[in-house]
Amino acid sequence: MQENREKCMELANRIYDLDGEVYKCVGSALGRTFTGSRENTVQNLCMLMLTKPDGHLLRSELALISNMARTIKDKEAKDRMIAEYDNILEEIEKLPDGFGKVDIVDLSRAELNPTTRKKLSGDDHLVICISRTQGSAGNDIGFELADELHINYYDVEIFNQVLKRLEAEKGSVNDAETESFADFDKYKKRNFSLKTWFREFNRYHGLPRQDAVFFNMSDLICSLARSEDCVIMGRCADAILTNNHIPHISLFISAPFSLRIQRLMASKNMEFRQAARFLRQMDRQHQKYYDFFTGGRWGRPENYDLCINSANYGIRETIDLIERMIDEKRK
Amino acid sequence: MKKFATIITILFYVLLLCPVNVWAAESTGGSAAVPVWLCIPFAGLLLCIAVMPLVKGEWWESHQPLVVLLWILVMAVPFAVIYGAGGMAETVLECTVNDYLTFIILLFGLFCVSGNITMEGDFAGSPRVNVGLLTLGTFLASCIGTTGASMLMVRPVLKMNSWRRRKSHIMIFFIFLVSNMGGILTPIGDPPLLMGFMRGVPFFWSLHLFPVLLFNMVILLFLFYHVDKRMYRKDIAEGRKPDISRPGTQFRIDGLHNLIFLLMIVGAVILSGVLPGLEAFQDSAGNVLGIHIFKDVTLGFPSVIEIVIILIAAGLSFKTTPKEIRTRNHFTWGAIKEVAVLFIGIFITMQPALMLLRQVGPNLGLDQPYQLFWSTGALSSFLDNTPTYLVFLTTAGTLGFTSGIATSLGTVPVHLLSAISCGAVFMGANTYIGNAPNFMVKSISDENGVNMPSFFGYMLWSLGFLIPVFILDMLVFFL
Repeated sequence: MQENREKCMELANRIYDLDGEVYKCVGSALGRTFTGSRENTVQNLCMLMLTKPDGHLLRSELALISNMARTIKDKEAKDRMIAEYDNILEEIEKLPDGFGKVDIVDLSRAELNPTTRKKLSGDDHLVICISRTQGSAGNDIGFELADELHINYYDVEIFNQVLKRLEAEKGSVNDAETESFADFDKYKKRNFSLKTWFREFNRYHGLPRQDAVFFNMSDLICSLARSEDCVIMGRCADAILTNNHIPHISLFISAPFSLRIQRLMASKNMEFRQAARFLRQMDRQHQKYYDFFTGGRWGRPENYDLCINSANYGIRETIDLIERMIDEKRK
Repeated sequence: MKKFATIITILFYVLLLCPVNVWAAESTGGSAAVPVWLCIPFAGLLLCIAVMPLVKGEWWESHQPLVVLLWILVMAVPFAVIYGAGGMAETVLECTVNDYLTFIILLFGLFCVSGNITMEGDFAGSPRVNVGLLTLGTFLASCIGTTGASMLMVRPVLKMNSWRRRKSHIMIFFIFLVSNMGGILTPIGDPPLLMGFMRGVPFFWSLHLFPVLLFNMVILLFLFYHVDKRMYRKDIAEGRKPDISRPGTQFRIDGLHNLIFLLMIVGAVILSGVLPGLEAFQDSAGNVLGIHIFKDVTLGFPSVIEIVIILIAAGLSFKTTPKEIRTRNHFTWGAIKEVAVLFIGIFITMQPALMLLRQVGPNLGLDQPYQLFWSTGALSSFLDNTPTYLVFLTTAGTLGFTSGIATSLGTVPVHLLSAISCGAVFMGANTYIGNAPNFMVKSISDENGVNMPSFFGYMLWSLGFLIPVFILDMLVFFL
């Protein structure tokens, strides 16, 4: 199994290199076939080979490289590329079929989870991504957990850094995770001004501003997770890190609706009706945001490593539970 | 599932072609009728274009010229037996010199000039940016022709969307709108309308078709936005993201001076439509003067002027633009070579089908706008839309109407002319071979990392999106 995985990794690296070399020889500026980062592309190709060695997806991806290779003007270079392409195809065809048919493990996902390994490798950081419903005390749990583990806690800081990076004025973009979250609505009518529209079009590279913020936030979250141990609250960090093949633990913390209302009424001094409406709205917005950017379903157990009902444990016990799980695996 | 879809599409395709033959057999019947079986080489060539890339892709790529030559011979030899070697040579030369030559030179000129214009910038392709690009391209098509707009816009669209994985649908809607529908507003837009202009249809008459274009644009762009948004979300969900790390957008166009050469080409096309009507270019019998080639085959001086201007524009464009721009544009001869090879075969082998159409067309009894819309459109999807347009325009001109647009072919009521024009221009988008830019866009996309659908795969898109829109067109405008 391991041997085949290594073989697939080697082939995936060769495919990525071939694509880069073909693109370089062509001299085009219109974009190469695999535009993602090396790490991601290689991982994706590897998984494609491991799970579906004869799948049409892999073939159609490879065919795009050969399409481009055939347009290389230097005959010698062209022959070299096509020969390498043919060799790769031949080796892929020889790959044995049927991996991952017995176990339920999703290889691509499981290997990113530090808890499924014997221990964290020396290069990996402990990154805990916490998604939570409003009023479930997820923020308190995340903050205290970071404090006890002596690692950084990132919530609103990420958003502020993105604003700085985009040179955007505060207030022009809403943070998807703070309580003004209600303003996030891609379909909501806004006051239109041509001048503002052009300014934003230029600033955000023609993208909707929430999308531009998300892309920048993705970059930041990845660089944080690669450089330090941390707790990251929300912001689809679990999906972002999975897509970028960065090891992490993903948690979803929620609590029964009635208890969340009670907590909100107590902490925010809200009326029952107001608190219920606020929570429903926040859940809807969270779901919309997560579903839009991840293609997944917010709060579905299959998206997370661990789902916790914080009301069954309380803040202290929930933190202990998470710590026990991490410590056990870090030993 | 894929095989099933392919079989269904083949059946549809065969059914679509068969009625032409059936009508021909029924209504002509006499000895002068063109034998129906002479259309087989054309159908064979189309099937090769459709099927060969799927079953033997690499072999097909390297042997295209041989296969095309084979089908030409399969058509030409029996044709020579029936009509004599002279008749065959005349037919082949007529379509090669007067139709194919100007067609491919125009395509070549636009391909060269647009390949020398490159866009540098970090705009990221998103649904709304793509809708903007398609809208711009659609309107541009009426100003510089569908081929010109396609060639000019295809690379910027590819570049902006290079960060995305799912982009074939963008190029498919690009073909629908920019390479076809956008050409409806002026005679420069699409060759059939230029033919109409040469037969007396006023230059700006086509502007009356703006509501039809707008109607189609709104529907198609709405559909496109939602399809693209779906694909865009899937790309983001997979972790794809454009490089927008720099604040603010940088945008630059290199080789902008080539727009002058583009205008030269557009001017040449207009001249080729205007000059034949001038006395200086006609003999005493009113025939267009030109270089005599064989029997009745003459390359008219207006066409010669058009060709010379286009070649000069292409040459100047190459001379004045640094090679580096073409390299950045991934400029290769592959796309134009493929189109040149395939379309010489299509142009020659479709002659019997066009002859049939000319014989049968006027006797079909078509006198309702919706009938003309669908007949012109269905045939334009597979045959050259210019002669198809002319056949049905002639048919409409001989119906004896007294009010409408006065053309040299007779008076044609506005609603009939609208239906013929829309059918010829819009339905060229139904297949890759319906209009020349379709195949060019496909070839360029193929070379630049876009997984374009096969011939039948594309037809499924047109069946799913275009045909319902055409049905709405019929209900709203042509009933």
